Amino acid sequence: MKRFAFFPGCLIPTMHPSMEYAIRQSLPRLGIEIVDLDGASCCPDPIYFKSKDKLSWLAVAARNLSLAEDLGLDVITNCSGCTATLSETVHLLQDEELRKKINRRLARIGRKYKGKTRVRHIATLVRDEAGYDAISESVVRPLEGLKVAIHYGCHLLKPSSIMQVDNPDDPEVLERMVTALGATPVRHRNWYLCCGKACQTEEIPANMMHDLLRTVDAENAEILGMICPTCFSQFDYGQMKISKMFEESFGVPPVYYFQLLAYAQGEPYDKLGFDRQRFKPECLKRFEES
Amino acid sequence: MPSEKDNDDVVRVDFAFRRELAEKVEGNLASFCYQCGACVGDCPATTYSSEFNPREIMLKVLYGLGDELIGGDSILWQCVNCYNCHERCPQEVKPVEVIISLKNMMADRGIYPPAVKKIIHTFETTGRTVPLSDAINRKREKLGLPPLEPVPMDEIEKLFEPLEEEGEE
Repeated sequence: MKRFAFFPGCLIPTMHPSMEYAIRQSLPRLGIEIVDLDGASCCPDPIYFKSKDKLSWLAVAARNLSLAEDLGLDVITNCSGCTATLSETVHLLQDEELRKKINRRLARIGRKYKGKTRVRHIATLVRDEAGYDAISESVVRPLEGLKVAIHYGCHLLKPSSIMQVDNPDDPEVLERMVTALGATPVRHRNWYLCCGKACQTEEIPANMMHDLLRTVDAENAEILGMICPTCFSQFDYGQMKISKMFEESFGVPPVYYFQLLAYAQGEPYDKLGFDRQRFKPECLKRFEES
Repeated sequence: MPSEKDNDDVVRVDFAFRRELAEKVEGNLASFCYQCGACVGDCPATTYSSEFNPREIMLKVLYGLGDELIGGDSILWQCVNCYNCHERCPQEVKPVEVIISLKNMMADRGIYPPAVKKIIHTFETTGRTVPLSDAINRKREKLGLPPLEPVPMDEIEKLFEPLEEEGEE
């Protein structure tokens, strides 16, 4: 078992504990051991607190990274926002002057950021440490025939020079991870669009989601394959709103990838919290019955 | 001697505004913008809004037109933070980072949209963007997940204060 410091962030442990449950069930089956990171705070988020004060944002992020350095472990994240903040911090603090500045703040609480820890989203981790074949081998309930519209979101891939996950113009990581479950990934025409959650107006996210959902529907996808809890909420709550606004009927259930993985590995449908979603992926039940 | 009329055609750059922006982390990067517009074509906010244009925002930064960028109903909050502009820019200007630095300048002036202010406040008081509750920990317990502990705010708060030599951040 390879050990990693688990940074669950804010949204998943509080709003979507079933996602965390699925992660804790599925990663050990791929040879990955989760070590809890005591004393961690919000990453902090790359949209709101970063907008207030980038230096404080870096200082808090560096404190979180220093907790993992104490354990001598790399950090694994399950949220694209946390991945963005912590990866950008590692990148920016390669600059010696900035690192000194941040370390002077950390010295107030007896901490130091050394720049020794790597940050990886669990999707990247599973690809690089376990591999697609190991995912396939862990599947006991192949999701054959399930059409999954892939939604990458923004911060898993971009900025690519910092995230170093995949080619943002033609990525394959999620497609291959979905294929490894026996399911069929669908790249709909507007796959590259953003969920719009960070935007502080109504019209931009609404029109963007509308365009995106229309191309998902055109491909007859049964579920939306998600990798970010923010995108997930935006699609679960958002589809109702968009349906009303545009007087059309959208309702493709979003499913967080690691819940789908845990399900394919044999976790019962009822244990994965799908019933708490606005749009429930009941289409998955057919694999349980067979 | 130039006439008064000629004088009116002169662009006056507000360097005080630009110097303040340059103090922010990566706020100085706009200086490298040569207005090619690579950031525009791939910007979802530009696609879905008639007002938002990252190239124009960078131009206003270069001119130091602070009043048109930072204020109560700033257009900058239309940015979706997708990082496409960061991806596309041949000059590594990172327009999204310049925009966030401009938001830092707004925060220094106490200007935030209410929804943004609320999330920042939650983080600054609890160390999380979603505050803990007994209900959350009960839900976690049912799933066999370890309980969430309060964030050590005494430590986090000490990180917010600027260093003396940083002066006014």
